[in-house]
Amino acid sequence: MTTDRPASISTLAVDWGPEGQPGDTLYQRIDGQLDYPTDLLNLPGLLHGAILRSDQAHARLLAVDTRVARTMPGVHSVVTAEDVPGLNRFGIVVRDQPVFCEDRVRYEGDAIAAVAADTPAQARAAIAAIRVEYQPLPVVEDAASAENQPALHEGSNLLAQESLTRGDVDQALAACAVVVEHEYRTPRQMHGFMETEGGVALPDGNGGVLFRVGCQSGHRDVEQLADILALPRAQVSVEAMTTGGAFGGKDELTIQPAAGILALRTGRPVMIHLDRFESCRSGMKRHPVAVRMTTGCDARGHLLAHRVDAVLDTGAYASLGPAVLENFMDHATAPLYRIDSYAVTGRLVYTNNGLCGAFRGFGGNQATFAVESQLDALACKLGMDPGELRRKNLRSRQEPGSRGQPVRWTAAPATVLDAALASPLWQPGNPAGARWLTGTGLAFGAQGNGLGDGLPDSGGGRLSLTPEGRIRVEFGFADYGQDIAGAITRSVCDALGCGSADVEVVLGQSRGPDSGPTSASRSSVMVHGLLSRMLPEWTQTLKRLAAELTGQPAEDLAPGTGGLFLQGRRLIDYRELAGKAPPDALVAEAGQDFPVAPGQETPVGRYLQLQIATIARVMVDRLTGRVRVTDLHHITAAGRVIYPPGYLGQIEGAAVMGLGMTLTEDMPTRKGRMQRDNLDQYLMPTIGDAPAQRVDVVDDTPENDPYPIRGIGELGIEAVTPAIVSAIEAATGVRVRTLPVSPSALLEAIQAREAQS
Amino acid sequence: MKDGDQPLETIRFELNGQAVTRSVPAAAALIDLLRDGGQVTSVRPGCRIGRCGACNVLVDGQVMPACLVMAWQLPGRRIETVEGLSDDPDYLRVRQALARESALQCGYCTPGFALSLVSALRARRQGGPADLTEALTGNLCRCTGYGGLKRAIERHLGPDPTDPSVA
Amino acid sequence: MQADPTQRDQIRVLRPATPREAVALAKTTGAPYIAGGSGLQPVWERNGSWPRQIVALNPGWPGFRGIEETGQGLRVGALTTLGELAQHPLIHRYLPCLPEFMDQVAGPGVRHLGTVGGNLCAGGDLSALFLALDAQVHRLSDDDPQEQCQPLEDYSAGDGTLMTALSIPDSRQWRIGLEKLGYRERFSPPRATVACVHDGQTMRRAVCGEGGPARLRSSETDQDTELTAGGWQDPALRLAIQRMLAFLQEDIARDH
Repeated sequence: MTTDRPASISTLAVDWGPEGQPGDTLYQRIDGQLDYPTDLLNLPGLLHGAILRSDQAHARLLAVDTRVARTMPGVHSVVTAEDVPGLNRFGIVVRDQPVFCEDRVRYEGDAIAAVAADTPAQARAAIAAIRVEYQPLPVVEDAASAENQPALHEGSNLLAQESLTRGDVDQALAACAVVVEHEYRTPRQMHGFMETEGGVALPDGNGGVLFRVGCQSGHRDVEQLADILALPRAQVSVEAMTTGGAFGGKDELTIQPAAGILALRTGRPVMIHLDRFESCRSGMKRHPVAVRMTTGCDARGHLLAHRVDAVLDTGAYASLGPAVLENFMDHATAPLYRIDSYAVTGRLVYTNNGLCGAFRGFGGNQATFAVESQLDALACKLGMDPGELRRKNLRSRQEPGSRGQPVRWTAAPATVLDAALASPLWQPGNPAGARWLTGTGLAFGAQGNGLGDGLPDSGGGRLSLTPEGRIRVEFGFADYGQDIAGAITRSVCDALGCGSADVEVVLGQSRGPDSGPTSASRSSVMVHGLLSRMLPEWTQTLKRLAAELTGQPAEDLAPGTGGLFLQGRRLIDYRELAGKAPPDALVAEAGQDFPVAPGQETPVGRYLQLQIATIARVMVDRLTGRVRVTDLHHITAAGRVIYPPGYLGQIEGAAVMGLGMTLTEDMPTRKGRMQRDNLDQYLMPTIGDAPAQRVDVVDDTPENDPYPIRGIGELGIEAVTPAIVSAIEAATGVRVRTLPVSPSALLEAIQAREAQS
Repeated sequence: MKDGDQPLETIRFELNGQAVTRSVPAAAALIDLLRDGGQVTSVRPGCRIGRCGACNVLVDGQVMPACLVMAWQLPGRRIETVEGLSDDPDYLRVRQALARESALQCGYCTPGFALSLVSALRARRQGGPADLTEALTGNLCRCTGYGGLKRAIERHLGPDPTDPSVA
Repeated sequence: MQADPTQRDQIRVLRPATPREAVALAKTTGAPYIAGGSGLQPVWERNGSWPRQIVALNPGWPGFRGIEETGQGLRVGALTTLGELAQHPLIHRYLPCLPEFMDQVAGPGVRHLGTVGGNLCAGGDLSALFLALDAQVHRLSDDDPQEQCQPLEDYSAGDGTLMTALSIPDSRQWRIGLEKLGYRERFSPPRATVACVHDGQTMRRAVCGEGGPARLRSSETDQDTELTAGGWQDPALRLAIQRMLAFLQEDIARDH
């Protein structure tokens, strides 16, 4: 048996690498000089589109009368379902969502018609003039009973049902000395990107359309849009511009179908930009989950049995619901811990409660909240330290994953746990009777990279030298703030020895290489893999060409800032080389599959695994039940850090997003209607709610690991919720299992406990 | 604006140092006047009800959400956006601090944050509150978790040692 | 053709030359007053329905903006912005707890627009303190040539009268406690804001937020009943209010 060698742990700080300063695009963003898709307001001939949305959560659509709207001032085109040139459906997994509803609306926000006009006000006025006749249908609002209610689509409202089992869970539960059973509920969180859904569709003058939009997968969007617009794929292109946030909420098509149809109709560019009210009502959300977990162990704390029954509310259309269910279930098996017997079942149902789909964490963080809470409950019942209980059950680095699949960690889970237990946040609470009750809590989470479960997952990239002498790196990924361009630049500079000014990163062009979707924390892994494939040979070619031009031996030449160097002296710059090299001599392309475990016919789960332990320190107001998170300390084990500013920002940002889901964020529905419609009601954290954060990186990645770079865009949200509720329990003695934490419920529980003592 | 029955008014104000005269509906929101035709796109809509700070502008040096400022309130006032601050020492200090600490990701909200800080730095020099973190409580950022912003304030925007009013 | 509901661009902004004219215009047209507009615009934007006309108030009118000492206390112009209130040297002297509390009222940008009068007319965060201070409202109405004065507690916005200023008593020797419970730490609508004012003899308490602004008069034991009757339906919120009040009272008593 091999032993895990001691890992290196370091606290992450912003570090701009050898050049010591941030790149130009950061300054452009601050200066407001970088255009987002919804900033493209100076296009010649630009029209403004607006979408008419259902004001009913579920109804037959009897009539849509657009006659008045067509005569309104400034109106150029009004389109409905009849005007969709091709397929009136879209959806990444199941094409079940209409571009414009034909005979039925399934959620408040379903699109019915769209208008293009000279000004946004005129477009809105025309939308208001469209008369719609509805015949209300019973609203399916309760997810738990949805499958027994009238079906929203063909078949029943049960869209998917999955189960993962191992051993005999009933028998195992019977053998447990201690069993805990609890129900957990998580909210319908909104992505809350600051740039609401929007962008422009531009006719290309030859019957095709170019989209400049906020999106996450240009190539996949082209496939869907071509079918909707009845155009060959070659006539549809997408430029995924720098987008003001996405987090999964721009993974599906949003405004593109309506904008595209209006652009084709009018022959003019059409901008559609949802306002926040419309975005709240019609946009994607995180799946609310109701899950019951029964978990048991022996008297010494060894986990023996774990049963999970979950219902996920996907809303009116499937979107990525089936994939979210799969990831939820994967996380619900408690991947970090050895449990001989489990039975995890999950049901994904249609309701009239809006739309749910991809959202950072992707079902995993909901499951981890419940799993980690169960461990705390067992520890409490056993009278055992929660850290000790976890340590007893943690998998070692050599063991397979919870589904028996090979997994690849970058550090031993026990190492991460040890680091977490050594956090300075473990301090005694305030004395009893103090106004602010303080407490510290811990949770642990694992997360895999990639689409997983053997789903087709591959991508490509391209490397070339431009005539201006810049090293152009092209990927299909979208930039929505994760600064993937910064990470790519740093990787190329590190590998090649060039300067950042030598590198030009081009992203998100559907005419460029298809790298697969910008989701599932897969981009960094793909970028590293593809660069590793392209760079060595490309560099050889570069040196060979330089050698031919200069007469110096290729092996003595080294790429550096601005050009190739011989013994520390710049011999030839990249521009000169580009000018003299034969065309296409310096173009490299590569494609690869996303890494999966070797030797598996049908891969299960995810191979590349990441860990995070989050320690939270909270203050709870004994007077009101309000919770302040004062500190978050994260220990990550997610491979090598290539770009510290990006890594730190991803962990911190995801953690505060998780804090929001834990404490304030929810989009409740009543009779299918969203109960919040803007940022004065849907309350995301401000800087006043943001805790002090520290990120410690455990890097025990083997030198020769073929996948030393992992994607960490979702890692920070994995364990933050259970860490906060654990800290609340430490402070108050009250365990919260329904999110977001209700200060009212917490206060009443605090009062009840005070009355007892 | 094509409709004949709209009550248009001639409004004169200063935008980034330039005198501006516009004929607009009296209740038009400043954000629309600025963004119309793509003139000033750093002023961005995030909520249109003054709750996110993405459309912040400086009005006579004070930060305000442009979605809540109406045209009739503008005459004689001085409007500044980041486009007009390229030589402003406070802005340059803020800009450098935000960049160095990686205080942004997507950047959509960042000009609004920068203006809140510029406004607070100016106020602080006139004896206003020193707490720049409070100055950012009207701005929402969904990407960063505010870590970089806090570092930018702590490490680079503390009391200016060259400022005589800060003892 | 008149589009209905009215869009923002179709609003007529009436600009009266004097406060008197404003009152008369509001009376004849039924149009609402608008000052900073930070409270009303979000409501209109949300409803997608704008008034045909609004009566714009002018902060340049004498006495409408600014804070001055009156001998009996302070006079605060109704169009004084929340930001000016927070910064004003007189407020630091008379109500030293207020500037810090103002960090929890709206956000910095909105505080530069929103006014004291607007906040009080909407039952906003300032209501609890001003009620507990027994502030007096100065107002103009179309049927009285004189400026009238009445307790804030009795004042009802929306009857066409125009709030011109508030008088607050000289509170320099008083003990004052203020607490806000929002949904989050900053820039939140108030769930419940409470104020306790002790003038050396009596303790005065008031609350505002989800149940509306009210001066509380009952004894501690009857407080829950009084809050329920006043419209505070959520028992946990009533509990929070009472605990905040008890804490403030104790705090104030300890200071003495």
